[in-house]
Amino acid sequence: MSVKTLLIGLDGATFSVLDPLLEQGHMPFLKSFLAGGIRAGLRTIVPPLTPPAWTSLMTGRTPGQHGVFDFFRMESDGSRHIRFFNSNDVQCDTIWSLASNQGLRVTALNFPAMFPAPKISGHVVPGWVPWKQLRLACWPEGLLDRLKSIPGFNQRELAMDIKLEEKATEGCSDYEEYAPWIELHIRREQNWFAILRHLVKEDPSELTAILFDGVDKLQHLCWRFLRPEDDRPLETEQELRLRELCLEYFRKLDTLLEQLCDLAGPEATVLMASDHGFGPTYDVFHVNAWLEQRGYLAWSDAARSHDSQGALLGVGQVARHTWLMDWNRTKAFAATPTSNGIYILVNRDGNSPGIDPSEYHSFRERLKDELLSFRDAPGGAPVITGVWTRDEAFSGPHCETAPDLTLMLRDGGLVGILPSPRLISRRPIVGGAHRPVGVFAARGPNLRRGMDAGELSILDVAPTVLYSLGLPLPLEMQGRLPEEIFEGAAIKERPVLHAAEATVAGNGYHTVATQMTEEDEQIVMERLRELGYVE
Amino acid sequence: MKPSRKEIADYILRMIEDLSHDWDYSRAVTPDSLLFTELGLESLDVVVLGTTIQEHYQFQMPFAELLAEIGQREKRDLSIAELVDFVDRHLNANLREAAPVTELSQ
Repeated sequence: MSVKTLLIGLDGATFSVLDPLLEQGHMPFLKSFLAGGIRAGLRTIVPPLTPPAWTSLMTGRTPGQHGVFDFFRMESDGSRHIRFFNSNDVQCDTIWSLASNQGLRVTALNFPAMFPAPKISGHVVPGWVPWKQLRLACWPEGLLDRLKSIPGFNQRELAMDIKLEEKATEGCSDYEEYAPWIELHIRREQNWFAILRHLVKEDPSELTAILFDGVDKLQHLCWRFLRPEDDRPLETEQELRLRELCLEYFRKLDTLLEQLCDLAGPEATVLMASDHGFGPTYDVFHVNAWLEQRGYLAWSDAARSHDSQGALLGVGQVARHTWLMDWNRTKAFAATPTSNGIYILVNRDGNSPGIDPSEYHSFRERLKDELLSFRDAPGGAPVITGVWTRDEAFSGPHCETAPDLTLMLRDGGLVGILPSPRLISRRPIVGGAHRPVGVFAARGPNLRRGMDAGELSILDVAPTVLYSLGLPLPLEMQGRLPEEIFEGAAIKERPVLHAAEATVAGNGYHTVATQMTEEDEQIVMERLRELGYVE
Repeated sequence: MKPSRKEIADYILRMIEDLSHDWDYSRAVTPDSLLFTELGLESLDVVVLGTTIQEHYQFQMPFAELLAEIGQREKRDLSIAELVDFVDRHLNANLREAAPVTELSQ
């Protein structure tokens, strides 16, 4: 058995950062990979956020279909308590389960929304799991003990440390903290690579996937050093040293990409994708402070004495901030800084706080208009450049749990959710924030060479993975196979096949058989007739 | 068959004890061990523990509410015994059998 398809995730990768690095000679392998393969922008979903975006990549569906909108979600319908997302929130099949159900082995490392791990044939080491709990998260049971035999394996540095994650978006108060943090991410990527190399050599899988999230982390925190042209020239020796360290990260990453491709072999299809793009962010919009100012939100007495410990966004205080609010006098609130989403409280049973159900649509429209009209100074530019309603952004069977409104800020940044005397804060240093268009790169048998495919959708990656494995595409998958990236004869010789999706039961990973309705069968038969496979 | 409090305690204690070997934790793990100040866990660790416990018993429990409640205590910590009590209370509420597989996805 060998690797048939290698999927490399580069969280937050963007051509505005990569292209200069390619030109300056810092990533020679990636440069040659693109020259010999496909490059394209990859448009992500709304919001351009890691959990829903990677889930859309894995499922080929939008968030309203798969049910993941944010790092966090309300604990239950009607609850005010927030919990961290997990794989049980994914309400449709993924490329992992689809491949495994069709008899293929899968190795997936460091992807979000993979804990609890799907019980697939292969190996799973989920991302976004605290290092102390990694044993519980790995699949199959006992995998962690096998990994501990790898020279240099470091469980603590491999998995997530929430305080370090917080640093990426909140920022570091001191340049002295940056260097060890960047060096940690260089080691982390090498750690993840070592695991994959071990598993490919000892126990290979047809679908092999690894995600490097240091790209996202560095770009959040170190945008100043990666793209000084978005702020001001680097001046001090320390700033120049930090830029050099950031470049070292990307150089090392390039080496790992080359080694991964060598491991997979020349016959494998290699796909690289990011979940969203990146750009500079200068401000923080304190959305809950804005809602309070307009009478839509009230803070509790506890909020007055709450010590936010200098936090700008409140990423590390998401669960706590819910008891900072006076729920009896609140009509709208932002639950998390990561989703840029606002929830509207509706008095559904007649006895709860919130607005009357009959007023929901007019209230939502008024709130949307006020947000779009908000300027930080008289005659100034709008702070919010886009507002999507839940129906617009999250259409699908699971949209009821999504935020009622989702904001796009003028610099793509995140909102602050904590009490604040100001509505807008200027970041001490320019940071990086997510943008709608990431990267896609591909190389392998039957793929065109040296092609710029313009812009694809993140929903198209899952169909591409399945096609490269020789598997049918579920009819319900919203993404398409981008046939234009394949050599003409290849698609003719092996046309795309579709199949009805397996029924999701429980966490969706225990389905065994593909069940087709009579209607599905008719659709498939018609397609087969069109292709000349049946009379 | 609903698990007894002792069975729940044995399961949770064994799980945390096994995990502690990965942390090079040298002290004994007992029902009185405190998750945050002694075992050195963070909130997200408890989230993962909670998810694992829910998966094991195939039953959803309000762990986010528990964490929020801890955050409002004067002493912001939770012993393993208190965690066992929480699980026991929710599992055996309404004197029902443990829920089937599909309940977690609803």
